[in-house]
Formats: sequence, structure tokens, C-alpha cells
Amino acid sequence: MKRTILTVSKKLLQAVLALFLLSLAVFYMSRLAPGDPLRSYYGESAERMNSVERAAAMEKLGLDQPIYIQYGRWIADAAQGDFGISFQYKQPVSQVISNTCFNTVLLGGGGYLLTFLLALALGIFCALREDSLADRMICKVGTVLHCIPSFWAALILILLFSVLLKWLPSGGAYPIGSPNDLFGRLRHLILPLAVLVLSHLWYYAYLIRNKLLEELKQDYVLLCRTKGLSRRVILWKHCVRNIMPFFISLAAVSVPHILGGTYIAEKVFSYPGLGSLCFESAKYHDYNMLLVLTLLTGAVVILANFSAQFLNDRIDPRMRQTKRGFFH
Amino acid sequence: MSENPFRLVGYKPAEPQAGEPAKPKRSRPPVAASVILGVILVGCLFAELFMNHDPQYLDLTHLSVPPCSSFFFGTDPLGRDVFSMIWYGGRISLLIGFLAAAVSTAVAVVYGSVSACLPRAANDAMMRLSEIVMSIPSILTVIFLQAAIGQSNPFALALVIGATGWMNMAKIVRTEVKRMKDSVYIEAARTMGAGFWYLLIKHLLPGLVSSLMFMVVSNIGAAIGAEATLSFLGIGLPVETVSWGSLLSQADRALMTGNWWLIVIPGLFLIATLVCITDLGNYIRKENNRKCSNL
Repeated sequence: MKRTILTVSKKLLQAVLALFLLSLAVFYMSRLAPGDPLRSYYGESAERMNSVERAAAMEKLGLDQPIYIQYGRWIADAAQGDFGISFQYKQPVSQVISNTCFNTVLLGGGGYLLTFLLALALGIFCALREDSLADRMICKVGTVLHCIPSFWAALILILLFSVLLKWLPSGGAYPIGSPNDLFGRLRHLILPLAVLVLSHLWYYAYLIRNKLLEELKQDYVLLCRTKGLSRRVILWKHCVRNIMPFFISLAAVSVPHILGGTYIAEKVFSYPGLGSLCFESAKYHDYNMLLVLTLLTGAVVILANFSAQFLNDRIDPRMRQTKRGFFH
Repeated sequence: MSENPFRLVGYKPAEPQAGEPAKPKRSRPPVAASVILGVILVGCLFAELFMNHDPQYLDLTHLSVPPCSSFFFGTDPLGRDVFSMIWYGGRISLLIGFLAAAVSTAVAVVYGSVSACLPRAANDAMMRLSEIVMSIPSILTVIFLQAAIGQSNPFALALVIGATGWMNMAKIVRTEVKRMKDSVYIEAARTMGAGFWYLLIKHLLPGLVSSLMFMVVSNIGAAIGAEATLSFLGIGLPVETVSWGSLLSQADRALMTGNWWLIVIPGLFLIATLVCITDLGNYIRKENNRKCSNL
């Protein structure tokens, strides 16, 4: 127990350190970037300011100090939960983000779950039929699907289902004016989710398929068969269980990929979420916003890795990091 | 009975070996993929020879013309001929692909081998650092760098794309260099006074080629896809610079007006290229793994 607490706190410390480094790097880079942050705050009028007004405006936003002082100030505020104001929305960043966060969680989380459940199912399906016609067909189609850039897949789906067939809406997160319409929300989710799943599914399914194939060729499977266990029991009780640590690590490592995909899908479907915010804030040099968005994304990824390790410890005792010797 | 009267009792002649252990099946070389890729490459390089319109000429009398006998693939809303633009713009897209892959390979090789040669603590720190970089979705890093550089020409874009795709490769380089660095030939070179860069280029790099080739090829494909995605999202190349991505960046508006040829045709070219590159990459990977396979 004590050891668990020790390892967990050590990991947490590492995570905090990583986030700190990340914020430092992003902060410096964003402040050194060309582009006028005043423009995003004051809009067109920033260009008509004279030098005195400019200096006053810079001072008001705290942009006149050296970068390390700005950073020190930022991190002191951030520790108290104040991440500054968005230059573009003139609202606290945390508020803007919490407004749209839910949409991204819905799309990204849904896509993530769906991708991995389907990938597991497809991987098992193909592994059981190695080199059969179905397997080869799925491999070919999957490779081609994997090569299609997700924005293009999104365009084609919009062209088919929104423009030609007029079945599904082409953008937004909910019908205009009724954000609480559950059915409307679901309808708006279908196309982005489909894009997300289509463009990531095969990559993971293929990895799972190959891993499972390796597993099926192990000696213990033969032993199980001689014991008279049915194929299904061997598969589910032994093989699938044995690849679970691999599956979980894969799922953890892929969090940034899926998040990146979510951001692109959001942008193409003009779905209001963190991804659309990212593109906007990069375009308008809204540094505070971009900084927090990057950190938030990094935090999610680090958290995912962390929980994957924890889960794997639980499932597979061999993964546990132990300082004791082999025979204890 | 037996022909040999001096046969020992209980001796069984060894079963004749059932031939050599079956050699792993050699995967078929990707002929179709190479041919298609070759056609696209040559077509883009020598686009001038068969383009029937100037790809940058804004023909205001032919705006958004659907595919016809004069404009094979139609024209875009600015009056440019899509057929010519695809071949002409392919140069930029392919150039970005190759450049970005070169950048990321160079960074990965240097980073990976430096970290492999350093003492353990520094080595671990460098790998943690690359993991931190990897923990940010690459699209976010690209947006960020692109906003920071503030220029959108093909070279800047290739640099940005390359700078975000080296981490996985660096990991492989590190493992390989760690394996190689204690070999006798490295030791011999070092006793003769070889420096780090000399060792890297003369001795380590040739050993890395086979394990990196697959990643380099797939990086080229990924970079071409990234260019298209970024240009489509409006943070890559501007519409004036003709490339597959900037061609596709008009697709958003084409959707509203129903100009399907602006979406489908450049997209098909892009995907054909990507599929061929992937196919080639898979072949290379299989060929490299062939010897090690125990199956």
C-alpha cells in the first residue's frame, strides 16, 4: 500500500513537471511569435492607435514586461485558477473553455470509445479468419480508408448526406436555438463521429489483429485445446485477456491522435468545441487561450498514460514495477 | 537385411531433413503502386509538357466550369484549370512531403544518436522531453509553430511539418544506436580518433538505413497528407500557391455551390499517392523483417 502511494505520487510529480515544462515552452514561443496580440483584443482599432495609446494598452494587458515576469505572473494566477482573459472573447479563458468543453468531450470521448470497441471487434474478427477472403478484403479496404485524409472524408460525407441526400446537418452541434434538444444533438454528432471512427479505426484494428495473431500461435493455446476447451473460451478467457495490457497501452498512446482528429473534425464540421477554439485562437494570436488549450490537451494525454499504467498494473501483475527480487 | 553390416544396435539413422526450413514467403513487389507513383511523379515533374492551360492564369470567362473537353477536370471559382493545377501543384505537395521527411529524419537521427551516446540520466531526460512533445496532438503543435513562424511558404510549412514528426523515429534510432555503439567497428573507429559526427555519418547511419526506411517512406506520405489538411484548414499554403492542399482548400465553398469536381478529383489524386506510398512502405517493412521472422 505504501509502495503504491509512493509510485503514484512519483508519477504525479512527473506529470506536474511535464506540464510545467510544457507551459514554459508554449508561453515563451507564443510571446516570441510575430503578430499583434493587441489586434485580437481591440480588433481593427488596434491599427489606428498612436504610440502612447499602444503603450497604455500593452501595460493594461501586461504585455510590456519581460517574458519571464509575464510567465511568473501567469503561473501565480494559474495556481489560483485564474488563467487570464481571452483577448478575443474578452472573457476569462476558463469560462470560454467550459462553455465548449462539453461538446468536445461528447465528440472526442464518443469517437474514442467507438473507435476502440470497433477496432477490438474488427481485430478479433480478422485474426480468427487470417488470410481468408474476408480478412484480405478488410485489410485492403482498411489500408485505403486509413490513407484518406480525414478532412476529405468529411467533405465527401457532407457532400453525400447533407448536400445530395439532405439527411443530416452539415455542421454545428445542435439545431439553431435549441441546445437542449437531445435528438438534434445526436443527429449533429453522426457525421463527425463517423469521420473520426473511419479515419482511425483501421490503424488500431490492424495492430490488434497482428497482436492477437501472435497470441493465437502461442503454445498455451495448444494446451488449452488438448484440455478440450472450446475455441470461444480460449479466445475470450485467454487470448483476448492476454492482449488487454497491449490494448490498454495502445489506447493510452493514441489519445493525442484521436484528440487531434477530433480537432480537425470539429473544424470541418464547424462544431463548436476546443478544436475550433484552437484554430481561432491561433489565427487571432489569442495567446492566453492557446496556452490553456495546449496545456489542457497535454494534461488529458498525461492523465491517460497515467491511468493506463495503473490499469495495466491491475490486470497484469508482471507489469508491476517492483524492487523486490525475483523469488519474493 | 541392412546394407551396412556394421550398424550399431539401436542406432536410428537421422530422418532425412524435409528440405530446408521453408523460407518466409517473399511478399510481392508492389508493381502497381510503383507504376502509379512513378506516373504521378514524372507527370508532376514534367507538367509543362502536357498542361493545356496555364495553372496560374485566372480565366475570368470560364469560372467554375464542370469537366469538359477543354478543361479536363473543370475550373475553379477563380477560373484556373484544375487539370493543369493538379500536375503543377503536385510538385509543391511532393516537395513538401520529401522536405518534411528529410527534416524529421535528420532531427530524429541526430537526436536519437546523441541521446543514445549520452550517460543514462541525460539519455532518460532527452527521451522524456520527446515524450512531452509527443503528448501534444501534432495538429496543435503545427498550428502553434505556424502561428509562430507567421509565414506560409512551402519551405516554412515543410519545416513545421518535419519538426512535429520526428519523435517516433528518434526512439527507433536510439534503440538501434544503443545496440550498435558497443560494436567492435565503432570501438576501432574511436581508437583511431573518429569524432561523433564522423561516426554518425560513416558508421551509424548505414546501419540505421534498413530500420528507418519504412518510417521515412511513411513520413513522406504523412507529410503530404498534413500539407493538404493544413492548407484546407487555412493555416497552410494560401490559395495563390498551387498545391493539392490549396486546391482542396476551396472545397469548403465548392460544397455549397455543388462543384463536386473541385472536391473529388484533387482528393482522388492525393489519396492515390498516399495509398501507393503506404503500399511501398509496407513492402519495405516486410522485406526488412523477412529475415527475423520465425514463422
